[in-house]
Amino acid sequence: MDLVLQLIVNGIINGSHYALLGLGFGVIFGPTRITHFAFGPLYALAAYAVWTAAVPLGLPLPAAAAIGIAAGALFGVTTYRLLYRPFERRQSPSLVVLIASLGLFIVLENAIGIAFGSDTKVIPNFNADVILLGPVVFTSVQAAQVLALITVGSLLALFLKRSDYGKAVMAMTDNPEMARIIGIDTVKVATLAFALGSAIAAVPAMLILLKEGATPYMGFNAVFMGFVAVIIGGIGSLSGAVIGGLTLGLVENLGTWQIPTEWQSTIAFIVLFIVLLFKPRGLFARGAR
Amino acid sequence: MKKAIAAILALVLLAAGAARAAEPPKDPKSFPIGALLAMTGQASFYGQVMSQGMKQAVDEINAKGGIDGIPLEAVIEDHKGGGGQDGVAAMNRLISIHHVQAVLTSFSAPTIAVAPIADQQHILMVNGGAVSPQLVGLSKYLFHNRSLSTDLSRIAIAYAAELGGKKLAQLQWQNDVGDNIVKIADPLWKKDGGTVVATEAVAQGATHMDPQVAKLRAANPDIIALWTFNPETGLALKRIRDFGMKQPVIGVDFTENDAKIAGAAANGFHFANDYFAPSDSEPWSKQFATDYKKRYGTDPDFYAANYYEGVYVIAECIKRARAKGGDYWNGEALREALLSNPKFNSVYGGQMVFQPNGVALKRTALFTVEDGKRKFVKFLEAKE
Repeated sequence: MDLVLQLIVNGIINGSHYALLGLGFGVIFGPTRITHFAFGPLYALAAYAVWTAAVPLGLPLPAAAAIGIAAGALFGVTTYRLLYRPFERRQSPSLVVLIASLGLFIVLENAIGIAFGSDTKVIPNFNADVILLGPVVFTSVQAAQVLALITVGSLLALFLKRSDYGKAVMAMTDNPEMARIIGIDTVKVATLAFALGSAIAAVPAMLILLKEGATPYMGFNAVFMGFVAVIIGGIGSLSGAVIGGLTLGLVENLGTWQIPTEWQSTIAFIVLFIVLLFKPRGLFARGAR
Repeated sequence: MKKAIAAILALVLLAAGAARAAEPPKDPKSFPIGALLAMTGQASFYGQVMSQGMKQAVDEINAKGGIDGIPLEAVIEDHKGGGGQDGVAAMNRLISIHHVQAVLTSFSAPTIAVAPIADQQHILMVNGGAVSPQLVGLSKYLFHNRSLSTDLSRIAIAYAAELGGKKLAQLQWQNDVGDNIVKIADPLWKKDGGTVVATEAVAQGATHMDPQVAKLRAANPDIIALWTFNPETGLALKRIRDFGMKQPVIGVDFTENDAKIAGAAANGFHFANDYFAPSDSEPWSKQFATDYKKRYGTDPDFYAANYYEGVYVIAECIKRARAKGGDYWNGEALREALLSNPKFNSVYGGQMVFQPNGVALKRTALFTVEDGKRKFVKFLEAKE
């Protein structure tokens, strides 16, 4: 019983991480419909930005965190304006944009490796507190991962429901053509979506930096899980992305309760498979094609 | 009659003399030495230190005039620390584009994959990092100057037995290296009445190992064994302590990168390793370590030392083969040169001898981690 409880707690913690990634990816994918593979290395870059601020520059962690989020947003917006926008202007098919994103993914990953080296970057002398709650154990960083989801999720929900720009993002997610017709500046909203999504991605990035360190290749898993979370949850539904992420985390951890842990990575895909089999558009899809 | 004998003798001597002088050596412009390393990917730390050791050796030898005036060239190809496919592609590039005749290899999976190519194309291979026992006897061109994982695990288990405690939990690499270690360690531990309460596997390159560590914790072991390498060792050490487990942990590898990842969680970790320890009593080891530190700013570990040493082994083989003359710049001649005298100077100190199975026995020892740094504990006999 103790093991199951521990696995559930771990599932919620990892699920929060995936949910945040799903939110970041989903906020970009919903309104723009761009399969932003470069989300992965940009997430890694945000982690490296935090590391650079904290270690070589020696700034305190909160300042480094703020820099990381700002850097993330900046990288996201730059990618949109310099790479994707020219394709959008030429009305290129989405496949072309996907390939461009993949190309950027490869270039960025290796650029990070060349610039920072391939060893793992950690924040030295950072020791997370170990918290024991009955039979369950977790660290302060892991608790922060769950708190981050609650905080970022709530703030995002507020923004999308209450502010004008937020409503514009939801409108574009629903129907980009209609949004343009009624006069929404779709380029501005798309830029905002990239800024928002990338800033959100910086949060799990820096928590992973604290938890296990940053490597140039950390981005692949991030964009992959974010993508799967969005697909499970349904495109356009941010609460779906959260549920998708949490589901992934829980299945990954609980799934190995009785099954040997060698099957860990396989289980995530089996879940994706089953969900898509019964609900091809995801659990909570919204928006026109 | 005497004249005839004298004439025949003269002819014989002449022929012998001519055979002696043989053909002059067919020299290439340079000796490209290939390397199959993990330059990218999760395990790229290994590629980094191995290539550094290799390049230092090449530069050193060339500074002294190369081999009989002909320079060496280091040609490094990336197999990404991954599987056979990348290894084969890299090996093919080395052979067809760079025309290497000797290759330094690393990582078990790519080495196993390229062994048939080495056989086909007659390429000498020296392995300084891969540990799978499947590599022994795989190819007559494959030689090792690194202790295999099975030997290391025997030492780790011997130490675990010293600690007392009966229940062992294992976390292994999810590949044939991990499988082979478990195959040896598992029965070895059980032989003296111990039990294995959990065996979990983590994929190479995975950073998420919470379920595995949770299951290890639930099994309530006395001792935890990490049959993993960088960076999974460092990550596992951190997660184990994150989960509040205080049991002693044993293992078979620990690099500077693992130390960085694990931080304070690594203290107290005991592992078996090749005994490379630069000391004044072994001048070559001292010179290598000092120069390495000057070049790269960090102390060398035994991986860097093995690949530095590997270049010198190949260089020695080239020298021997060239002395015989003729068309010597090929893997077959180099292999014969190696086997003609399997004793080579070792940068660890003293000499190492390549056994008939291709493995050069090195001293292995028990180390521990104190303040994030590795510390020699003692020489330990492997458990049989």
